Amino acid sequence: MGTESWVKVGASTKPGSAEALTEALRALESPAPPKLVVALVAPHFDLATIAEGLYEALPGTQVIGCTTSGEISTAGAMANALVLWALGGDAIRVTTGSGQGDDLGLRNAATEAAQCLDQLERRSNTVLMMLSDGLCGDQMEVVRGAYDVAAIDVPLVGGCAGDNLAMKHTRQIHGRQVLTQSVVAAAISSERPLGIGVSHGWTAASEPMLVTGSKGNILSSLEDKPALDVYLDFFNPPENAKTDQTTFAAFAATHPIGIRRRDKIEMRHITGFNLQTRELITIAEVPQGALAFLAEGDFNSVLDAAAQSVQSALAALNGEEAVGLFLFDCVSRRAVFTEDRVHEETDLITSTCGNICGNIPMAGFYTYGEICRTKGAGGFHNQTLVTLAIG
Amino acid sequence: METSWSLHLLSEILSAFSTEDPDNLRNVVNRVAESVDAEVAAILCEGQISWCIGLSETDQIQLLEQAKQQPSNIPIRSGDLHACWAPLGSSDVLFVGRLGERFDLEERALLRAMARSIELSMNMLRAVTSERQARNDAYQQATHDALTGLPNRRMVLDHLKATIDHLVADEALVTAVLFIDIDRFKWINDAHGHAAGDQLLIHISRILTDSVRHEDLVGRLSGDEFIVITQLGDRHATNELARRIIETIRQPIRVFGSELSHTVSIGISFVQPGDDPSVVLENADMAMYRAKALGRGRYANFHSSMRVLAQQRLSLEENLGHAADNGEIRTYLQPLFRLSDNTLAGFETLIRWQHPQHGILPPGSFLNQAEDSGLIQEMDMIVFETGCSAIAKWQQIPGLEHLRLSSNLSAHSLADPRTKERIKAILETTGINSCNVYLEITETALVEDIKSTASNIIALRNLNLRLAIDDFGTGYSSLLYLKRFPVALLKIDRSFVDGLGLNPEDDVIATTIISLARALELEVVAEGVENENQLDLIRELGSDYGQGYLFGQPMSIGDTERCFISPRRPHPAVHTTP
Repeated sequence: MGTESWVKVGASTKPGSAEALTEALRALESPAPPKLVVALVAPHFDLATIAEGLYEALPGTQVIGCTTSGEISTAGAMANALVLWALGGDAIRVTTGSGQGDDLGLRNAATEAAQCLDQLERRSNTVLMMLSDGLCGDQMEVVRGAYDVAAIDVPLVGGCAGDNLAMKHTRQIHGRQVLTQSVVAAAISSERPLGIGVSHGWTAASEPMLVTGSKGNILSSLEDKPALDVYLDFFNPPENAKTDQTTFAAFAATHPIGIRRRDKIEMRHITGFNLQTRELITIAEVPQGALAFLAEGDFNSVLDAAAQSVQSALAALNGEEAVGLFLFDCVSRRAVFTEDRVHEETDLITSTCGNICGNIPMAGFYTYGEICRTKGAGGFHNQTLVTLAIG
Repeated sequence: METSWSLHLLSEILSAFSTEDPDNLRNVVNRVAESVDAEVAAILCEGQISWCIGLSETDQIQLLEQAKQQPSNIPIRSGDLHACWAPLGSSDVLFVGRLGERFDLEERALLRAMARSIELSMNMLRAVTSERQARNDAYQQATHDALTGLPNRRMVLDHLKATIDHLVADEALVTAVLFIDIDRFKWINDAHGHAAGDQLLIHISRILTDSVRHEDLVGRLSGDEFIVITQLGDRHATNELARRIIETIRQPIRVFGSELSHTVSIGISFVQPGDDPSVVLENADMAMYRAKALGRGRYANFHSSMRVLAQQRLSLEENLGHAADNGEIRTYLQPLFRLSDNTLAGFETLIRWQHPQHGILPPGSFLNQAEDSGLIQEMDMIVFETGCSAIAKWQQIPGLEHLRLSSNLSAHSLADPRTKERIKAILETTGINSCNVYLEITETALVEDIKSTASNIIALRNLNLRLAIDDFGTGYSSLLYLKRFPVALLKIDRSFVDGLGLNPEDDVIATTIISLARALELEVVAEGVENENQLDLIRELGSDYGQGYLFGQPMSIGDTERCFISPRRPHPAVHTTP
């Protein structure tokens, strides 16, 4: 029975796909090949080249990946980079899967991807990591579909692929395949502990409002008024954000909607609008009948949440040392920090780790939505930082 | 004061039910669990788990085992599940399980309210689903054919109207309506029964559906009439589709042990923006009749001149129904001469219709309609009976005792077992010597249903009648039926006689037929002999009999008697008185 696990991270900002891959792979060199590589790829790269190159370099390694809206490596927040997160060691077992869906078949796609759990040789601790196309329907369905397979025993973590806020389309990698409108998953089982943490730090800015019209990821009305009008009236964004999708998306990244849950507020990222119907498009459902708040991010509270997320994940290792982190960080958080100060979040994460277990390799990406189910049946989040700590 | 969180979660559950998507009950179960941060939610109906999230199969078995006791804790692998059981109607139950915190009073109240909501919503969903199903069934019945499941006339017309409404003048695409009719379908029904006919209709509906693209429409108008509405690149592609359909359907199929050989005729009408859907169908129908007139198993494109012809045909069909009752069916006779001694051997009966407005009509103008409508059987018998009466009378004349009669028997009559009794009655009533009666049958009629035809032919032979194959060489020309049936005579089709001495191929065919007849000890009649040259050639080739304008054209019984019988009556002895 194995006892060792390790994480290595390689990164490159070289512009060409092949040369970036070569550089990133160099950091992964080890006596034994990794069991899993997660490729976090800026949208301008050729994913087919990267998938094929990974297969040639590491033919026995399971590979999943996706496009991003910014990457994170041990060095901190990055942009236009290729980051490879490699997990290995004899304590680790990995299987991977994928499911092809669209906005109507997302739940089935997630179920299909999660079925890689059925082939997994289970160890003491298991987690299912998922990467989905966040621009493809209600992402709550991804959690529900995966939970149909994973059930109560297996926690879920993951994130929605990005495209640098273009909000056009994202891509995913499974093995040598490049997919879109899909869910890819890696089932990871370890003899050593795995820790998960989640936190957001957003605050309600408006009075609570009743969601009077919504279906899937389309929010039609709040208090029987067109949702877009309510939103624009409240925040009064710059004029061009009221008509231009891209400007609006950038503004909305720091002005999400919160939904009242039993003992918490769940955030929903707004990705766009429909000017004709005056509807808001969200990354996941804002359920009709729910109590909703318009929210905004405060620099310090959002930053503090990063430390909380990492601390929770490390604490869940029950005193065992972490060998690596994987971070699913909402793209809206990056927008709150702004490009000038985005490094402050990763610096804080590094220092938080350093205080607890020294410098450890970490990687992650800026997402359009995060998955973290450790408790209850739900687990889709927005505006959060989800941390997976590998013990 | 902020309203209670649980009220809003209940509101979410109620909102989540959708009568549009019955499958979303699965999502509702998820929402129940998500609302109280529970890991497990299940609906248990009559001792079975209908829906469950969060539990492995092993844990689900454990849940079922404990469902009767409804304990407040259920131990599973991950720990102790705190349980909340909420009644769902009189016998079902909603189970919600959570690790960690117990359910407090507000949560339990919320879950009971959710269970009641689910119960009411499920009942509503069932009612709506049932009502929707009934509506769908009614719509299906109103718009689809029950036998084949294809759209019926109403839906075809609706679809055609919608197609025309959205039609734009686009040279890259033509929209066409194919009107497909099974040739002699009534005969198939009569000969094999309606069950076999239904199987054939289903078979053809499948061929049509497989022959076209998914977005094309295949419908059944009524009876044996099908419609295809398609959009293709050009008219040639449409004609090619029609040809392919005809060829595919032509393949025989076995139904209830019988092999059915059948063909379809197809009329094609091309659609223009602004067309009236009913008129488009009529046009395709007319083109289909044109295809039938060309010889069945063919296709024809609509042309405006067909409308005039169709009106004439319609009028003809109406009148044809009363022709037999009104005594308008006439029997004409054409003489048959023995070539060895150039003597009168007998006559062939030929049908004519004495139309009240159009005068005498030849068979080509009404026989197809008579066959399609089944009137042909009655006409066969009228002609046969009048022919027998005349010949029987003339057989009384010394020297004409062996005068023979040839009469045509249609495929309909041949396939009908009742024909034997009618013929027997006519033979007895008229007193004709049955040894001199030949029934002429086409090759096509013989092979259309070889099994049932065989038994009827044998029954006719038992009446001492003889069987002649008409138009030999133009149909299936199989040696099989010459062997199986008691054939006594072959008639060489006029098309071969026409070409004798002019077309070497016709010479070879005529020679071969006569040689074949000799080998099988069959008599041979050459039809369509119109000149001395043809007469010399058929005599030289060894034909036994000749028939054609050279010997005499078809004429009424009265004229026949005047021209051919009276001259052969013995002159009465002249007595003088002193």
